[in-house]
Amino acid sequence: MSDKKRFLDKDYTRRQFLKLSGKSLAGVAMSGAMLSALGVTADALAEDKVRVWAFPQGLLVVNADRCVGCQRCEINCTLTNDGCCSSYISRVKVTRNLYSSRNGNGLYTENNWTYFPDTCRQCEDPACGNACPMGAIYAGDDGIRRVDTDKCVGCGACAQACPWHMPTVNPVTRKSSKCVMCGACVEGCPSGALSIIPWDKVSSAAQEI
Amino acid sequence: MSVKNGINGWAGSVLRVNLTTGAITTEDTLPKYKPFIGGMGIGYKIIWDEVPLDSDPLGDAAKAVFSVGPLTASGVPCSGRMTVSFLSCWSKGNSIVDAHMGGHFAHALKYAGYDAIIVEGKSDKPVYLKIEDEKVSIEDASHVWGKGTFDTNATLAKENGPEFDVISIGQAGENLVPMSCMVTSFGNSGGGGVGAVLGSKMLKAVVCRGTGAVKIARPMEVRLLSNYMIKDLVGGNNNHTVPTIPQSWAEYSATSSNRWQGGPGVTWDKASNGPIDMGEQPSGQINVAALRCNKGVFDFGAVAEKYTVKQGGCSSCPVRCYTEYDMDPLADYDLPTHVSNTCMPIIKMLDWYPDHIDAATGEKVKSTHDFVDQGDAKMILGGAGSRAADDYGVWCNYGSLYEDFNMAYTTGVLKDVITKGGTDMTEWDAIPWDLMENGDPRWLVEVYRRIAMKEGTFSDLGLGTYLLYEKWGMDDPAKNAAGVNFYDFVNGKNFNIGHNGYPRHHGPESCWQTGTILSLMYNRDCMIHHLINFVSSGAPFDAIIKPVLEGFFGEGCVDRPKAYTPINENKIKLTKWAFNGKQWHDSATLCNWMYPMTIATSKKRNYVGDLDLDAKYMSAVVGEDYTREDLEFDSERISQLLRVMTAVSFKLNLGSANLRQDHDQPSDWVFDKDPDFKPFEEGTVKLDREDYAKALDMWYEAMGWDKETGIPTRATLEKFDLGDCADKLEALGLI
Repeated sequence: MSDKKRFLDKDYTRRQFLKLSGKSLAGVAMSGAMLSALGVTADALAEDKVRVWAFPQGLLVVNADRCVGCQRCEINCTLTNDGCCSSYISRVKVTRNLYSSRNGNGLYTENNWTYFPDTCRQCEDPACGNACPMGAIYAGDDGIRRVDTDKCVGCGACAQACPWHMPTVNPVTRKSSKCVMCGACVEGCPSGALSIIPWDKVSSAAQEI
Repeated sequence: MSVKNGINGWAGSVLRVNLTTGAITTEDTLPKYKPFIGGMGIGYKIIWDEVPLDSDPLGDAAKAVFSVGPLTASGVPCSGRMTVSFLSCWSKGNSIVDAHMGGHFAHALKYAGYDAIIVEGKSDKPVYLKIEDEKVSIEDASHVWGKGTFDTNATLAKENGPEFDVISIGQAGENLVPMSCMVTSFGNSGGGGVGAVLGSKMLKAVVCRGTGAVKIARPMEVRLLSNYMIKDLVGGNNNHTVPTIPQSWAEYSATSSNRWQGGPGVTWDKASNGPIDMGEQPSGQINVAALRCNKGVFDFGAVAEKYTVKQGGCSSCPVRCYTEYDMDPLADYDLPTHVSNTCMPIIKMLDWYPDHIDAATGEKVKSTHDFVDQGDAKMILGGAGSRAADDYGVWCNYGSLYEDFNMAYTTGVLKDVITKGGTDMTEWDAIPWDLMENGDPRWLVEVYRRIAMKEGTFSDLGLGTYLLYEKWGMDDPAKNAAGVNFYDFVNGKNFNIGHNGYPRHHGPESCWQTGTILSLMYNRDCMIHHLINFVSSGAPFDAIIKPVLEGFFGEGCVDRPKAYTPINENKIKLTKWAFNGKQWHDSATLCNWMYPMTIATSKKRNYVGDLDLDAKYMSAVVGEDYTREDLEFDSERISQLLRVMTAVSFKLNLGSANLRQDHDQPSDWVFDKDPDFKPFEEGTVKLDREDYAKALDMWYEAMGWDKETGIPTRATLEKFDLGDCADKLEALGLI
C-alpha cells in the first residue's frame, strides 16, 4: 500500500502521528493543507507554541498564542466529569501555567503573556498506568485510558509518574482522575486555543505530505 | 470546601483574621448571610453588624471584608469577580463603599473554601495573609513592604508556588493615600481606597491556593445554560451585541464604534508566531466568542493591533476585555513594555498632558507627540500610565484623578496652590515639567510616584476630589484662583455628578434621568452598566433597543441619544431594575460589565435578551427554585441596607438628616450645560431641575423612602426583615 493511501486509513494516520507527536512534528515536511488544518505556521510548530497530540477522535491542537487564560476548559471539564467546579482536579490544566509556572511563564513572570492549557497525551505506553500499583488505569477499546475507581486507592503514584503530572488525586474522593477525552474542554474553549481535528480531515490534508 | 460540606453554590465558610491578636477563625456562611446572597451583600451586612459607622476608616475598629458569592466559580460565565467592603476614607460622609476586582483571585478564594474573609485589627509590622485551603497563616511581609505591586506579586507568587494567586497593595496604600487600590493578575484592580484601608492594617498582600471545588446542584444544566449564553446572547465586552466591522453572517453592523471590534483583518500582530486574524465571530458559535472583544482597538484604534499579543481577562469569562500589549516604544524610556488594562486606567492618560505655555514664545503648545505611528500617543502613554498607576497602587476614582489635575493645571489653581500664591517656587521648580511638556511617558511614573509617596503639595491630588477640593478651596469660588466651584463648573469635561467627591459613571450624558439617579446612589461612582450596555450596544435604536427594552419595561422607558424626554413611571421601573440588579451582580458575583443579558446577538431571538438567565443559573447552581423576582427582592434588601448605612453615616459624621438634600443632588453643570438648548430638545443631554425633582419623588416612592429626606421608612425596612436598621434610624431621629 502506498504511503498516500495508507494515510487515508484512520488508524494508520493516528499511529503515524503518535510517533511524531509534539515537537517532533516540526521536523516533518508539512503540506500547506496540513498546516492550514492545524491553523498554524511551520515556525509555530518549531518553536513549540503549538502542540499537537494524536487522540482516538483526532488530532488535539493546543495553540498557546490563542489561549486567553479564561479557565473555561477547567470549568467545563469538572462540570462534566465531577459534577462540581474546580481547577485543581481538572483533567486539563491551565491555572498552574497562568500565574507563575514551573517553566517561567505566566502573568507574574517576565514571560507574562505565555500561558496555555496542559493536556493529557493519552500515551501509548502510559507512565501513569505503568506506575499504578493497583492496575487501576486501563485502556478501553477506543484507546482511551481511564481510572477504575473501584481499584484506585488514591496513592498518587500515577500523578508522580506522569512526566507532565496530569492525573490528579481528588482530595475529597481520594480517587485519581485523568482525561477521558470527553471533549468538553474543546467544545467550550471560547478562543479556539483548544481544537480537535477529526482523523478524516487529517487524512485528507495529509495526502499532500 | 463545599463538596466536603455538601452545600451547593456557597463555600459555606467565612474566614475571620484578626491582625492585632493573630487569631484566625471560621464561621458558617449560610445561617446568617444567606438573605444577603454573598459578595457585596455579605460585606455590607458584616460592616453594619460589626463596625460603628462613625469609626475612623483607617482606625483600629475598621474592617475590610473580601467576599464572593454563590455563583462565583460555579462555572457560570463572567463569575470571576470579588468585592471588598469597608468604610470610605475619602468620599463625603465616610460611609460604606466597596472595591470590585476581577482577575482570578475570586475563583482561588472559593476553591479554598471561603465565601468571605473578614480582616480586622491592625498588625504592628508588615504582613501578608496566606491561604491554602484550611491552612491559613499570617506571614511576614517586610521584604516586600515598600515595593510596587508587580514586584510584590511576582515575589510572593514565586515564593509560595505556581498555583498561588496574589493580591497586593502598592506604596500608595502603604502610605495611606486615599486614592489607592489593590492589584492582582495583570492590571486587574479593586479601588475605592481599599489600598489605604489595607495599608492601615499593614496588610501588604493576600496569597491563595484552593484545591477544593464548588458543588453544583445541576452541573450539566449550568454547562448547557453557559453554552446557550455564549452562543446566543454574548457579544463584545459590555455585551455590545453588534459587530463594528460588518461580518457576512450579521444582519447589522454597529451604529457607532463599539466594543465588538474583532473582525476579519483585525489582528494580534505580536502573537509569538505571527499575527492572528480575529476573523468572523458568528452568533451561535462558542469557539470564537473570545475573539469578539478587542478592547485595544476600541480604545486606541487600529494602531493597537501592532502591539497586541493577545486578549486577557478574568476567570470563567469568554469575553476578554484586557488587551495584553508589548509596547516596545516604551523600552526607549527604560519603561516596562508589557502592559495590560482596560477603561479608565489606560484610556485617559492624555489628561496628564495638558497644553502648556511655551516659555520662549508665550504661545500655547500641545504637550504630546506620536511615537512611531500616527495617532499612537494616546496608546503608548496609556500603557505607561496604567502600568505606573498599578505598580504604585494608585486608584483614579473613575478618571477623576486626571480630571482634577487637568482642571487644576489649566485654570492655574495648581500653580497657585503649590507656589502659595506665587510666593514659594521651591516645589514647583523641582517638578520636572519638561517631561510633561515633551510628552515623555516617564512623566506618568513621576506623577504617580509623587502621589503614592505623598511627596509635596502636588500629592494632595491623591486625597481624592472631596478632600482635595476642600483643602485647595476648589469647592468655593472665593477660595481659588479660578473663581469657580469645580463641582458645578460647566466646561464640557466635568465628571463630578454631585458634591460628594465621585464622578458620574454613565450618568446624564448617556442614560437620561436614570443614569443620573443611579450615579448618586452610592458613596463612590456607581459602576452600573445595566443601561450603557444596551445604549452603546451598536444595535439600531428603533429596530432593536427600543422594542426590546419597552417589551421588558413598558413604553417610554428609554430615550434616544441626545433626545431625552421627561421622567415617567417606566423609566423609574427601569431605574429600580438596574439599581437592585447591580447589588445582585456584586453579590452573586457576576460581572456587571457583562450582565444582564438584555440584548442578544441572535437574530432568531429577534435580538431579545434573557433577563431570567441569572435566576436560571442560580437555580441550577444552588438547587433551589429562584425566579427573577426572588433575586430582585433579596437584592433590594441590600439596596435598602446601603441606603440605611449612608443615612446613618451622614448623620453621625456630618450631622445631616436629609439624603435628598445632602447626597442626591446633581452638580449644576448637569442642568446648565449647553446654554443654547432647552432641556428635552433634540441635540442636548442637559436635564431639567424641576423634572429631576419629580424624578426623585417618584424614585423615593418606588423604593419606599421618605420623599422629604430620601431615607427608608420603617415599613419598607421591615418588609425586608431589616427591623434593626429601622431601630437604628429611629434612635438617631432619622425616621
